[in-house]
Amino acid sequence: MTPPLPAVSRRRALQVGGALTGAAVLGTSAPTAASAAPGRPAFSHGVASGDPLPTAVLLWTRVTPTSAATPGSGTGPVVSVEWEVATDDRFRQIARRGTVRTGPDRDHTVKADATGLTPARTYWYRFRCQGVVSPVGRTRTAPADDAAVPRLRMAVVSCANLQAGWFGAYRSLAARTDLDLVLHLGDYLYEYAPGEYQARDVVVRPHDPPREMVTLADHRRRHAQYKSDPDLQALHAVAPWVVTWDDHESANDAWSGGAENHTPGAEGQWTSRRAASQRAYAEWMPVRYEAGGRLYRRLRCGRLANLSMLDLRTYRDQQVASPVDPALGDPGRTLTGPDQMAFLLEGLADPSVQWKLVGNPVMIAPVQFPSTLDTRVLQGVEGLLGVDLPDQVGGLPYNVDQWDGYPAERARVLARLRDGGIRDAVFLTGDIHSGWAAELPSDPLTYPVTGDSLGTELVCTSVTSDNLDDILGVPPRTASLGVETAIRGANPHVKYLDFDSHGYSVLEVTPAAIQMDWFVLLDRTSRTSGAVWSSSWQVAAGSNRLSPAAGRLS
Amino acid sequence: MTGQRPALDRRSFLRLTAASGAAVVLSTAVGSRPAQAAPGGLRVYVVVTDGMRPEEIDPVLTPRLHRLRTEGTWFPAARSLPVMETIPNHVMMMTGVRPDRSGVPANSVYDRAEATVRDLDRPTDLRFPTVIERLRSAGHSTGTVLSKAYLYGIFGERADHRWEPFPLLPVTEHAPDAATMDAMLAMVDRFDPEFVFTNLGDVDRVGHSDLTGTTLRLARTAALASTDLQIGRLVDHLRVTGRWERTALVVLADHSMDWSLPTDLISVDAILRTRPDLRSSIQIAQNGGADLLYWTGPAASRQAGVAEVRRLVAAHPGVASVHAPRDLRLGPEAGDLVAYCRAGWRFTDPTPLSNPIPGNHGHPATEPIPFLVSGGHPRLSRGAVSSLAVRTIDVAPAVGAAFGLGAPRGGYDSSVPADALRRLIPRG
Repeated sequence: MTPPLPAVSRRRALQVGGALTGAAVLGTSAPTAASAAPGRPAFSHGVASGDPLPTAVLLWTRVTPTSAATPGSGTGPVVSVEWEVATDDRFRQIARRGTVRTGPDRDHTVKADATGLTPARTYWYRFRCQGVVSPVGRTRTAPADDAAVPRLRMAVVSCANLQAGWFGAYRSLAARTDLDLVLHLGDYLYEYAPGEYQARDVVVRPHDPPREMVTLADHRRRHAQYKSDPDLQALHAVAPWVVTWDDHESANDAWSGGAENHTPGAEGQWTSRRAASQRAYAEWMPVRYEAGGRLYRRLRCGRLANLSMLDLRTYRDQQVASPVDPALGDPGRTLTGPDQMAFLLEGLADPSVQWKLVGNPVMIAPVQFPSTLDTRVLQGVEGLLGVDLPDQVGGLPYNVDQWDGYPAERARVLARLRDGGIRDAVFLTGDIHSGWAAELPSDPLTYPVTGDSLGTELVCTSVTSDNLDDILGVPPRTASLGVETAIRGANPHVKYLDFDSHGYSVLEVTPAAIQMDWFVLLDRTSRTSGAVWSSSWQVAAGSNRLSPAAGRLS
Repeated sequence: MTGQRPALDRRSFLRLTAASGAAVVLSTAVGSRPAQAAPGGLRVYVVVTDGMRPEEIDPVLTPRLHRLRTEGTWFPAARSLPVMETIPNHVMMMTGVRPDRSGVPANSVYDRAEATVRDLDRPTDLRFPTVIERLRSAGHSTGTVLSKAYLYGIFGERADHRWEPFPLLPVTEHAPDAATMDAMLAMVDRFDPEFVFTNLGDVDRVGHSDLTGTTLRLARTAALASTDLQIGRLVDHLRVTGRWERTALVVLADHSMDWSLPTDLISVDAILRTRPDLRSSIQIAQNGGADLLYWTGPAASRQAGVAEVRRLVAAHPGVASVHAPRDLRLGPEAGDLVAYCRAGWRFTDPTPLSNPIPGNHGHPATEPIPFLVSGGHPRLSRGAVSSLAVRTIDVAPAVGAAFGLGAPRGGYDSSVPADALRRLIPRG
């Protein structure tokens, strides 16, 4: 059925390798966007694909039809953009093509669902507007639903604050040729104004527009700024992305009725601000989501795995004021909302797939911060979590913005895993700017003796956003080491913790095991910094347990 | 469909001495071919490690099983099917169909005709042809070596060669694994059946018989080590007798095991105590982690009565879910409602002392099972791990296909693709 995949030509390999040096554009034969003539359309924000299905992939780009039609401007003509999908990088074998109209009403972004494709197959795609051809992207369809899949490999990233550094993590990932997917767990962009949140005290790159993003135009311009980054463009162009948002796509610690970083009145209504952020997200991201719809959704990789992508901001009740707030235990408080909870439980219980992966924007493993931490460190942890921890009143503090702040709902999820005899549930998480590997204790009281675990959680660190050493203002791997030891001591189910590093993770899923490799960026403030391998942990099939991997993935 | 079974007096009895020196008595249908009936061909052995949890296969605790798993194909997504009890899952393994077609939904049912709760341990309880007798009809020799009295009961005289479990331990009514393996080896040596179905009961029964629960994990560990030893005996014996290269060995459990606390009990009898009208209209067949409830009151009030019982039972904090039997593909033998407990709980009816056993199964928490295909046959996959969602029910189609047997009338009830099952065991 499936014709043999075209070999990666030497020319092609060089082009992909070119991403290492920051080249934004994967080579094409015809005229390219990089050389857009004045008065001609341009594709200045790269190309992207996302949410692959067995026979369809979503394609994305943004066309700038006239020089005046800048992002967020609301001006410019309505134009037709052609797209084509080919089985080879020279577009000799066109598998599918189509035309989409776009204009100022959607900020000249283009989303096309390329259907009728072959499962588990690599494709190349590009766009054309008035004879101008976009850069070329590579993408891949999902395997057929009942296919036996020997391996799924994906990048796992989150928390990329442009002001805090360069996207070396994206550049390193774009140089790989083994990725089926890129999983982005949120905080793809940040809302802050220059000077409000950066790399310690240094604004490595100031945000545009130079103010906190509140209006629709602000959000569009900010998205455009991020998508102008060559490293981000390069990673979008090598593999399909599966994304969800966390809070910073709208505002820090967002909940259904507001956000910590939202001032009603001065910054308008929360509902309008959120609507603007969601509309810009739908326009600018390669995701099967349109404003007003639901972002949570499920993808599947044959019989090997499903992937439930969660939205943990839109439906949640407000965070409690502190971990000792009596409202914490209220069984009615929700993080997911009832419909999404039903959706999540259904995905975990799917008997037709082996691994149940959850794209989980905030940590689900319980984490108690030990009372032995000194005041300065505790303030640093508070800074990292973005919450106030009480002064050791009534026991151990924890982070009320993650599942720890919604214990009744977490108990429902864990009960479903336990009562349903569900194995191989793995939560893939971002948000916390640090690398973690944790088990999910069946019973926290007996766990230290029995080790009984209901699932596992793997947390990637931030692409750039500040973490503990940055907040404490100390060199990496100094003060944090003691904190990590203390936290692991108080939380024996936490097997791995790195509070200091920035970087990315690579996850491999096979029928035998899941492994995550953590890579750390040498210097986020350097435009050319590379990344090195740091640690690897594994979950053997059926075990719900973590063990150190023998080595990094080859 | 099942054809006429030979009567007891048409069977011959053979007393053999096992390797351990113990006596083994096998019965054989008259007319069956003697030893070495099918020299040189494929041998398929299905060995059920009753009640084993998948993670209990471990390089230290169960080295022989671990090696089989490493060398063969391992199915980490394997699960048992409702009701997660011994008899229905052994029946599903051998029929390939769900209980609504086999007539065997649970270990214990309320028999409306006899107005009593009883085990499904009679040959006539099983209404669908098994792969055992279908192979036999096709000219292949078969054997059963089942450690539990009720399994011996329900599979009856379907195989050419069979062993009646002996000695039976008190309380658990099962033969120890050493005796069961003695019998299996004696049967292989004497008759060399092409297909043997074996149940090793120690791992399950140790869990069930430890009434105090205090030494349970220790006893479990000992049973696992001992069962592993018996599996090792089988492999070694097949090797030294030159059979290993034609062997496909399927090892799986019928269900898993959960442990409940003495405080976490559910009694439907107690739940309905405030409603004597309902209590007098309900019969309860207790199956550990599952209760089967039967409406025996007036037919006119059945619908409303069952709905009310469902509401009351579902409200208990230890009850995970309540189902209509047809939703679980269980037939009328399963009654009107099936209640599952949550992990860590157990049903005990009618009194809190009726079920004193901490080791428990029947509920969804006990669905995950070990399932591996190994052996020395050159065409078996080596060192493979498969995401295939195999179930106990998939044994019969895989075994049948290995001997060229087609599907039974009405087909199998497998949920995995038939071609994937055909590749599980190489064609003999």
